[in-house]
Amino acid sequence: MDNRKEGKGMKKVSIFERLPKRKITRKGFLKLCGIGAGSLALNSVLFKFAFGQEEASSGRPGKKIKGLHDLVVAKGEDPYAMTVKAIEAMGGMGKFVRKNSIVLIKPNIGWDRSPEQAGNTNPYVVGALVDMCFKSGAKRVNIFDRTCNDQKRCYENSGIEKIAREKGANVFSPDDWNVVKAKFNYASPMEGWPIYRDALECDTFINVPILKHHSLAGLTISMKNLMGICSGNRGLMHFDIGTKLAHLTDFIKPDLNVIDAYRILKRNGPSGGNLADVVDMKTLIVGTDPVLCDAYSCVLMGREPSSMSYIKQAVKYNIGKGDYTDIAKSDILTINV
Amino acid sequence: MKKLVLARKFSQALFLSLFICLLWLTPHTAAFFKIDPLVSIFSLFSLMMLGATFIIGRFFCGWMCPLGTIIDACGIKSKNRDTGIFRNIKYFILGIIVIFAFIGIQIAWIFDPLVITARFLSLNFIPSFTLALDKAFIFLIKSLNFYAPLYDFYRMLKLSALGTKIFYFPHSLITLSFFVMICGLALITKRFWCRVICPLGAIYSAVAGFSIVSRRVDKCVNCMKCKINCRMSAISGDMSYKKGECVLCMDCIYDCPTQGTKFGLPATPARPQAKDSITRKDFLFLIASSFIFLGFKGREGPLKKRLIRPPGVKNEHEFLNKCIRCGNCMKICPTNGLQPAIFESGLAGIWAPHLVPEIGYCEYNCNLCGKVCPAGAIPRLSLAQKKEQKLGAAVINKFICLPWSQNKECIVCEEHCPVASKAIKTYEEVVAGKKIRKPYVDISLCVGCGICQNKCPTRPERAIKVLP
Repeated sequence: MDNRKEGKGMKKVSIFERLPKRKITRKGFLKLCGIGAGSLALNSVLFKFAFGQEEASSGRPGKKIKGLHDLVVAKGEDPYAMTVKAIEAMGGMGKFVRKNSIVLIKPNIGWDRSPEQAGNTNPYVVGALVDMCFKSGAKRVNIFDRTCNDQKRCYENSGIEKIAREKGANVFSPDDWNVVKAKFNYASPMEGWPIYRDALECDTFINVPILKHHSLAGLTISMKNLMGICSGNRGLMHFDIGTKLAHLTDFIKPDLNVIDAYRILKRNGPSGGNLADVVDMKTLIVGTDPVLCDAYSCVLMGREPSSMSYIKQAVKYNIGKGDYTDIAKSDILTINV
Repeated sequence: MKKLVLARKFSQALFLSLFICLLWLTPHTAAFFKIDPLVSIFSLFSLMMLGATFIIGRFFCGWMCPLGTIIDACGIKSKNRDTGIFRNIKYFILGIIVIFAFIGIQIAWIFDPLVITARFLSLNFIPSFTLALDKAFIFLIKSLNFYAPLYDFYRMLKLSALGTKIFYFPHSLITLSFFVMICGLALITKRFWCRVICPLGAIYSAVAGFSIVSRRVDKCVNCMKCKINCRMSAISGDMSYKKGECVLCMDCIYDCPTQGTKFGLPATPARPQAKDSITRKDFLFLIASSFIFLGFKGREGPLKKRLIRPPGVKNEHEFLNKCIRCGNCMKICPTNGLQPAIFESGLAGIWAPHLVPEIGYCEYNCNLCGKVCPAGAIPRLSLAQKKEQKLGAAVINKFICLPWSQNKECIVCEEHCPVASKAIKTYEEVVAGKKIRKPYVDISLCVGCGICQNKCPTRPERAIKVLP
């Protein structure tokens, strides 16, 4: 300041010459420290305000809509027509999707694989569902999955992004900053797990898994497919996977499960990659109870439902029906398309 | 209206933005290096550039070079000093590069301006810019509750330009400081780098010395304005000029008070150029000084850690010689796994790419790094060929691995293994009435992609690691 007053006529002095001449007083030093500490504190408060809000949620309220049948099994050549016919047999999409509602379709897009390799849900099944949702008056159809390989490549190579976009759905990648913490009213290993908010803020949740072999879980079907809505270090979910998947299913309560068993991976799942491991089964299973759907798929694959840890746990926690006797008792409609 | 200067500035801005766009949005990043005679001497495009330089002059430096544009912008306020004899340093550097090329050591990557710019853009500019953009969007959407349309736009950007992954390079501060230093030299005098150091400028300057188009001054009043303002200090006191130094920036046309300065075909015999020549003493000095770069020769030592190189790289020595460290492969790698090395493989391996599986794995279904490599250091492979390349082999640490050490169910590595018949096998063991599957690696199948190490849930140390 003083320099400027004196030096009106003088040459400009560079900052490097000016700085050492400045006197440091005790008061000035304390002031500087105060300003520094204050701005740091303000910074952290602002940072928290901007990026650090976290909410807890106790899950989706279940709608408990029942279809005309417990399960509808469609067999045929065309996955699109099979989906349409099976949903119609279930009572039509209008039963599940209200006018002006938001629908989430959660397919399995976990791997950078083509539809023929049966690593991901058949794109035509997803396309048919998007079409039906819009016909029933849905305002918005969201589609996402947390992929295991690179997001873009999975979306592209699975063929789902292209078909769904053409039909008007919103295909996006989930954001790790937009999550809620899971809350349970019973003791759960899933307590506090970050779940993508989009999975909860929807009126109808349609779960569209592909039936395939999984090394740890045995088979990956609708309950295992829900892992795609979890953020965080998912590798840790594999420990005690049965209980975790059962509680996650209870947390989400999917309204409709459409299991794509058109092509199935018999071995080397869940990623696959070898066409010799893929078998054409040309089947589609639709149901409202994810546990029953999974149990039926197990029987279809020649496996015992109780050998799957997640079905066992779901039955234990009374989340759905999954015993042999339940399958025998339930109302299953088989249609040929 | 300074029409020609405006045209030059427009061209500079156009090529700089083109350079950024090519790097950021497309996999055609190798395009720019095709016109670079220092990197690809015998490509058709670089010969065309040299031909055009022979006719017009050193237009590349003044009108196209992205680094030249940035240096111009940095030096906009700096004083203009005569660099005098120092300008010959660039020929020495070019000479050293050529000598080393004949011995079989490639050091062009240190000095090539296109490489320096590309590296800065890929490792510093684009990651920090996307990070800032991403955070800005998050702030707007989350704190100010701008969901709906803005959120959709953000998500559309994420699957296109912004990218689902914000890239991160832990050692990028070194590339940044290198770049800042080069641009900072412009504070000493305008275009210091271009005048004194740039070996690509030296090539163009050597050719442009014989160019057909030349500068002509009629009605000179000896005001010296053009000499003082010349950003390359190419004009001497007697109004002769060094053709090789002139970058055709067109400033002197408008500095001239009599409007007598013109560029065009010489109507009358041109004034003799000021002479610079390399003496015998200089030449001996060049040879002697080149020995300092011998450190860049790769040597195999007992302590030298081998790194996981990009897919298809067979010979480490050959790879380091071909690689120009442009950073294209690191920019394009979808998982961010390719990272610049620092001193892990010696002085010879600085900034060469290597895979760090803990940051990102090698995507099984992807061969982009070979496709974008302008120097052919990473071979171009078809997808089928790429899938057979072994980058290394995975090794399980049984003291950390959850099933082995704690009898917990896990096998995330086996789940993610991309090899169709699974390079990670498991064997079942019954512990306390529970079947636990324990993983082991089948080395003959493992391709060393590193996805197992990337997804392994143990922290801080991963239980499975890829060794080169």
